Amino acid sequence: MAEIATTCPYCGCGCGLYLHVADGQVTGVTPSRSHPVSQGRLCLKGWHAHELMDNPTRLTKPLVRRDGELREASWEEAREAVRAGLQQALAQGGSHSIGILGSARCANEDNYVLARFARGVLGTPNLDCSLRTGEPLTSGEIGDLDRSDLIVLVCNDPNEEHPAVSARIYRARQRSAGLIVISTRRHALARLADVHLSLRPGAEGHTLAGLTRLIVDSTEADGEIEAVRRSVPAISPEEVEKAAGVPAEELRRAARRYLESAQVTLVYSSALTLSPSATAAVSALADLSALARAQVGPQVSLLALASRNNLQGSLDMGVSPDMLPGYASLEDDTAAGRLTGVWGDGLCHEQGLSAWQMLGQVRALYVMGDDLLRAAADPGAVQEALSGLDFLVVQDLFLGPVARLAHVVLPAAAFGERDGTFTSLEGRVQRVRQAVPPPGEAREDWRIIAEVSAALGRPMSYQSSEDVFSEIADLIPIYQGLNYHALETPGGVRWPGRAAEAAALFAWQGAPQPVTLNGAGPQVTEQYPMLLLADPTLGPWDEETTIASTLTVSVEFALVGKDYPSGMLCLNPEDAKRLGLRSGRNARVTSSRGEGTMRVQVTEEAPPGIALTPWWQAARLGLLETVACPDTDRPVLGPTPVAVAPA
Amino acid sequence: MTSRLLVHGKVDEFVGRLLKSAEVIAPHRTPGGDLLYASVDTAADVSWDPGIPMESLKRFLMPQRETILQFSKNGKMSVSAVYDDKPKVFLAARCCDVTGVSVLDAMFGGTYQDPYYLMRRGQSTFIALTCQQPDTNCFCVCGDAGPFLKKGYDQQWTWLPEGMLVEIGSEQGQRLADAHADLLVPAELEHIKRRHQLAKEAEGRFGDFRAYVAGAMRKLSMEEVESEVWEQLADHCVDCGGCAFLCPTCSCFTTTDRFDGAEGIRERHWDACSYSCYAREASGHNPRAHRKTRLHARFFHKLSHQWAQRNARHACVCCGRCLTTCLAWAHMPAAAEAIRRGAMK
Repeated sequence: MAEIATTCPYCGCGCGLYLHVADGQVTGVTPSRSHPVSQGRLCLKGWHAHELMDNPTRLTKPLVRRDGELREASWEEAREAVRAGLQQALAQGGSHSIGILGSARCANEDNYVLARFARGVLGTPNLDCSLRTGEPLTSGEIGDLDRSDLIVLVCNDPNEEHPAVSARIYRARQRSAGLIVISTRRHALARLADVHLSLRPGAEGHTLAGLTRLIVDSTEADGEIEAVRRSVPAISPEEVEKAAGVPAEELRRAARRYLESAQVTLVYSSALTLSPSATAAVSALADLSALARAQVGPQVSLLALASRNNLQGSLDMGVSPDMLPGYASLEDDTAAGRLTGVWGDGLCHEQGLSAWQMLGQVRALYVMGDDLLRAAADPGAVQEALSGLDFLVVQDLFLGPVARLAHVVLPAAAFGERDGTFTSLEGRVQRVRQAVPPPGEAREDWRIIAEVSAALGRPMSYQSSEDVFSEIADLIPIYQGLNYHALETPGGVRWPGRAAEAAALFAWQGAPQPVTLNGAGPQVTEQYPMLLLADPTLGPWDEETTIASTLTVSVEFALVGKDYPSGMLCLNPEDAKRLGLRSGRNARVTSSRGEGTMRVQVTEEAPPGIALTPWWQAARLGLLETVACPDTDRPVLGPTPVAVAPA
Repeated sequence: MTSRLLVHGKVDEFVGRLLKSAEVIAPHRTPGGDLLYASVDTAADVSWDPGIPMESLKRFLMPQRETILQFSKNGKMSVSAVYDDKPKVFLAARCCDVTGVSVLDAMFGGTYQDPYYLMRRGQSTFIALTCQQPDTNCFCVCGDAGPFLKKGYDQQWTWLPEGMLVEIGSEQGQRLADAHADLLVPAELEHIKRRHQLAKEAEGRFGDFRAYVAGAMRKLSMEEVESEVWEQLADHCVDCGGCAFLCPTCSCFTTTDRFDGAEGIRERHWDACSYSCYAREASGHNPRAHRKTRLHARFFHKLSHQWAQRNARHACVCCGRCLTTCLAWAHMPAAAEAIRRGAMK
C-alpha cells in the first residue's frame, strides 16, 4: 500500500491529504476525511499538490554562475562557491553585510536551521521572510466558524485565498448563521451576505472604527470597557459614510446584527494587512475582542489567515529581524542563554533589517524558498537591487525569477520528498512525510544549510529531520514536549491551545488597542476621477512559483495572464457604460505616476467609481502609489486616483 | 447461478488466495482513521467496517496521473502505448462504486474506445459488499445504486451471522467461485431470506440527504431550468474540482507531453469540467467562460435523459462524496433540489 498521509503545501489552512505512490511516482492526491481541517475537502491547488513531485521543470543539480552563466556543478563545487562568497562578504563587510531570507513555504526544520545559521553561525540579525506581515498570530481556530452564529469577513475572500475556510462559511449559512462582509469587491460571499459594507479602499480603518464605536456605544456599562471606549475614536456612521462610502444605515444594520449574536468569528487575511490603514483596522478588531472580554456584545474569536502553509511556522522558528526563535525578545537573556547552550557562542541578538530594508543595504543575500520578487510592489527596483548584490545564493525547487539572478542555486526537496512539519494559520503543528526521494541531487533545505555551515567550519550534528525537530522542541517553549510521535494524529497538535507561553503572545487580542485614523486614503480629483485598487484577493495564486510550475493547475491559474496580458481592469457596468468600454476592450489608465493600457472586464464585483486589478499584475504597471507597511517596511501598492478612457 | 456461503474464518483465506493471482483493491483503514480503497498486501489490511471509502474505484481504473505513451526519436520515430495489464480484484467494493463502473464503461467503451481504460477493465473482477449501515452523506436509495445490488457485479457479498453470503452475478464471478469451491458451501433458503430482510432494514437507515433526481432530470432534459438556478449555484461553487475527482462516473481528462532529449512520454491527468480552462479553445474563445454555464454542462451530463439513454442510467450513483467534498454548496443534492424548486433554498 502506498498512501502517504501528509499536509498540503499551499495556503495556511493546513489541510490533510494522502499522496498516492505507484512505481516510484506520486500519481495523485486524496483528501483526508478524518482530518479536522480538510474533513474530506481540498481546493484546486491541493488536488494537484502531487504535481510538485516528478516535475520536469524541477532543479535537480546545483548551479554555479561561471562567465556570467548558471552552469551545472557538483555539490562540492557549489558548497565551496557558497563558502567562498559568504566568507568574502564577512571579510569585507562583516556579518551585518549579509542578509538571510527564510520561507513561508519551507518546513519548520528548514526555517529553524536557517535561523540558527543566521544568528548563530554567521552572526547576522538580518533575517526575514518577504511574506511576513504585521500581526498574523491568531488565537482562534477554523473550527470556531462551526460554532458561530455570525461570521464577519474583513477585506478578504476565502474562496480565492483560503477555500477550506469557505467550506465552513457555506455550511454555517446552511444552518442560518449570519454573514457580514466588509470588502471593496463584491465577491460571491459578499453577494450571499446579510450585510455587505462595500468600502472605498484605504478606509478600512474608518469603517471598522465606526462599527466598533457603534458597538461600544450600545452599552452604558463602564469599568473595563472604559479603556476600549477611550481607544476607539468617536466617529459617527455619517462620518464613516463620508470617509468610506459605506451607507450609515448599512453600518448601523451591521452593528445591530453583531449585537444580536452570541458568538462571532472575525476573519481577516494578509490582504487586510496590505492596506495602508491596516494598523487601525487590526486595532479595531482587537478592540472588538477586548469588548467581548468585558462582556459587551458577543463572544469573539479572531481568525487571522496566514497566506502560506508555513508562514506561522517560519515566525515560530524566529525568521524575523525583531525576535529570537519562539517569539523571545531580543533582550531576553534567558532565551539567548538557552540558544547559546546548544548553538555555541556568538549568538547575534541585535535588531536586524527587514527583507525590504535589506535590499540596497546588504552586500550578500542567502534566500531559501522565498519569492521576494513576487511579493514586491515594485519588482523592477527589487530586481535591480538583487542584481547589484556581490553575492546571491538561492535554494529552491524551481529556477524562478530570483534564482535566475543568483550566483549559486541549490536544488531543494519538495514537501512530498522529505519529512518535516508545517505549522498552520491556527498554530497546528503537523507532519509532512516523504513519499518519494527528491529528484536528482536535490535535498532537504535544512540539510543544505547544515552542509554550508559545516563548510564554514561550524558543523551541525543533525542526522534527520526528526533530530532537528527534537532540538526545536527543546529550545522553543511553545513547541516544548512535542515530537514526531505526538504529531501522528490527523491534525497534529495546536500549540496555542497547549503551551502556557502562548497566552502572553495573544494578550494583544484581549487588550484595548488605540485606533489612530490617518485620513481615509487618497481622494479622487477632477483629473483622476476613479480609484484604482490593486486587490490582493483577486487571483492571489496566479503567478505563485509553485503553482506556475505545476502541469495541469498552472493552466487554470495562468488564465488571467493569458486573457489580460497587459493587466485586467475590472469595471462596474455603470462606469463601463459611461466610459464607453466593454469587456475585452483596451482602456488607457492614467495616474500621476504614469500611463498604461489595460484590458477591461465589466463585472458587478467592482463597485461604481472603483476599478480593480489583481495585485500581482498591478505591481508591473507602475501606475500605483507605493506606501510602506508600518511593521515590516514592506512597500505595498496603495489605492490610487486614476483616469480611465478607451484606448 | 446459485448463491454460496463463505463461512467465518474462511474469508481471510479466500482473500489470501486472491492476492496470489491478482492485485487486490479493497477498503483499508489508514493509521489516521480514513477509509480508502487501497492495493492491499495482506488479508489483514482489508477493512470490513461500514462506511464509504473517501474515493471511488476510478483511481484504479483511470489514475489521476498515468503515462499512456512512450516515444523516442533516436534515428527514426518510435511510439508505443503503455498499458497496465495487471489482473485486479476489487474486493468489498461499495455497490454505488460498482454501479459507477457501468457509466465509465459506457464512456470509454462506446463509440470511442479507450484502450488504457479497457485494458484495466478487462482484467478486473468486482466483488461488491452490500452496505448494511449507510454513511452519513449516502443517498444511493435515490439512484438505484445500492445499498444492495440487483446486477452489475461479478460477486456480491453480504455479511450474515453464519458467514459471508456470496451471490454470483456473472460468469467471471462463477469461475472465481468454482476455483475456490473448497472454501464455499451452498447457501440455504434461510440465508437468502435473511439477506432480503437486511436489505430492507438498511434502506431505513439512510440519513438526511436525499436527491429526488427524477424531477431534476425532467427539467434538465427539457431545458426548463430557470437561469437564476445556475447563477445561484455559481455563487456556491469555488471550482475546486473535488466533485468531479471523487465522482465514480466523472471521466474528464487532459493530456500533456514531456520531453527529455530525444525521449518523451505522454501523460494523462484528471481534469474537471468545472475548471474555467476546461473548454477554452486555443483561440482564447471560451464557450463556458462563466461558471454558471460550466455547472449547467456538468449537471446536464449527470442527469439529462439524453445522457441517461446513452449510459443506460443517469450518471449519479448517489454515493454522497460530492456532498462530503464540496468546498461550498453546489453538490448533487443541493443542485437537484435547486433545479426541482427553481431556486436554491
